[in-house]
Amino acid sequence: MADIDKICRIKRETLSSEYYFKSLLEQAYMWGMLSDAQLEKIQFDCLSLLAKQTERYNSGGSSSIRVEGAQSLLTSIMFTVGVWLKTYPNPDEAVAAIQKESMYALYQAGHKRIDGLIKSTKILHSSIIGNLLQTENVFYRSTIVDGIKGFFKLYYPEFAAQEIHITADYPVHHPMERLVGIEFIQKYLECIYYENLFCAQFSAEDVHHLLCGYDEDYEELLVNIYEPVLSAAIGCILSGRDVHRLEMAPSSIQILNDLFRGKRRTEIEGILREAVSQLSGLLKLTEPLKRYLRVSLPQIAAVIENAVLLQTLDRVFILPKYPENNRQLIFSFGEKMKDEKYRKVLEEIRQCRYLTDKKALIKGGIHSLVDLEDILLDAELREEEILSIFRELNPAEIAALVKKHPMPSALDQYELRESQIVLGQCLQKFLAALPAKRRDLIKQAAAMLDCIEI
Amino acid sequence: MAFELSLFSGALVEKQAVNEVMKCNDLTVKFGFVLTEAQALALVETRSFALKENGRIEFGGGVIDKIIKEFCNSPYLSRHNYEETLHELLETFYYYKNETLDLMGDDDLIKYMKNAFNGICQGSLELLSGRELYKLARNLRYGYAPDYADHAIQLDAEEEDEYGRY
Repeated sequence: MADIDKICRIKRETLSSEYYFKSLLEQAYMWGMLSDAQLEKIQFDCLSLLAKQTERYNSGGSSSIRVEGAQSLLTSIMFTVGVWLKTYPNPDEAVAAIQKESMYALYQAGHKRIDGLIKSTKILHSSIIGNLLQTENVFYRSTIVDGIKGFFKLYYPEFAAQEIHITADYPVHHPMERLVGIEFIQKYLECIYYENLFCAQFSAEDVHHLLCGYDEDYEELLVNIYEPVLSAAIGCILSGRDVHRLEMAPSSIQILNDLFRGKRRTEIEGILREAVSQLSGLLKLTEPLKRYLRVSLPQIAAVIENAVLLQTLDRVFILPKYPENNRQLIFSFGEKMKDEKYRKVLEEIRQCRYLTDKKALIKGGIHSLVDLEDILLDAELREEEILSIFRELNPAEIAALVKKHPMPSALDQYELRESQIVLGQCLQKFLAALPAKRRDLIKQAAAMLDCIEI
Repeated sequence: MAFELSLFSGALVEKQAVNEVMKCNDLTVKFGFVLTEAQALALVETRSFALKENGRIEFGGGVIDKIIKEFCNSPYLSRHNYEETLHELLETFYYYKNETLDLMGDDDLIKYMKNAFNGICQGSLELLSGRELYKLARNLRYGYAPDYADHAIQLDAEEEDEYGRY
């Protein structure tokens, strides 16, 4: 009997976060809290407010407005009133306020509240910008810094309080409520704030290596950084590894697999909650942050439950990867010959009738891979001629060409010359004809290769 | 329960508008023009139709009273064509409100219509709509002053051949 709540007729869950005012009126009418006459009065008040706003929108110069403009103004008015009504402890009290106060007073109060929200959100944004994570992920910075700045630049609560204007590309971990306008941006930034706070407990380098374990090209992926970091921290706790380094070993995955196998989601959630309690002891976590972590757990538990079934737990608890330790091969394509000389050799090759003569000319006149590549692209050779030339090359040269001319996707093909597509196809055909062991070797070399043109 | 914009284009608005139109009779009576309630309602209906046709919405009496007050002293209006002309003017007004991209306020547009109607068009609604307001809308869309570029319009017209083709 710790909390005694008043019984409310309208449940908060039945109301829409996005169209709060409208859904509140619907529910109030349904429950008989508003009569037809009252509802008509509210509509008439909204009409007066809309007329006033239209006049302001048109700077008093025009009494009519395009329907789309009026619809947007009305949505803005209703959103503004809704923002104020959400401040009441429960929907029943909000309905009482609608009955008691004039629509104009509610609108004014909502407008003031939106102004307050803008100020507090701007402060929150500045504090987030001051403590951004050091990450290479392009979406993280472009959304949190540039995107949100763009929002504040475009946001005009007077006539379009419900607009978001930007797309928040970088995803947050908590599922976002269906909110609009400044309410959405505030909630979004709150999530970012807590996620940053948690990720800042670990060194940027460790987070980078962890994300490399997720995908080496994570810089260009729309991926939430907080989720793998939290999962890894929990994984470290549960497998007895050092949580500060976020470094699990392959054996940790086996331990976790054994731990979660056959468990139901609620049991998994219990284990995770226990791990988060231990985490709180090891890291400096504030109470609101702990709450945020606990709210994240059901989602992670669901992912773990599926991963155990699908034997993909290593994609949930990610092992760090150190790309700087990867072996790298450097291959130079050599220096290009003078244009004049190249044109001469190319012309001779084009005029040759027999492949043997063409090959002899290539062997005699071409001394670098970059020139050979140009010849393969420019000399209008047939497929079997190209394949025959490939047979004369060593595996390193083939790997270098494969690296430079990977099999183009259907989409990429639109941007390539026909000869480039043919060369890519010939390389794939050549590889397919090789023994499996040799083919794998060339593919591995191509993956490790860094080509240098000159 | 619907809470859409369509709610506001119903009887509530019409009643308010008819009252405002009827009030204009106090001014127009000295020019010999008086509208009955039925005629006022017909004007409001024309306004609703024109607004709907042009995808617009308006509050209160809107521009009907403004048009009546501006045109009631026109030498080209008589008891016989008063109501009919008001209907035509209303439709023309909303059409050109869109065509001028809302770049001109209501009062300015009505004043321009009145000057053209009483002046160069000599009471012809066809000339007002088809020539003068067309030129105005074109000038505004191209960023010229409202009364600019008579010669440019003529040049364009000359580019058309005798069959009206370019």
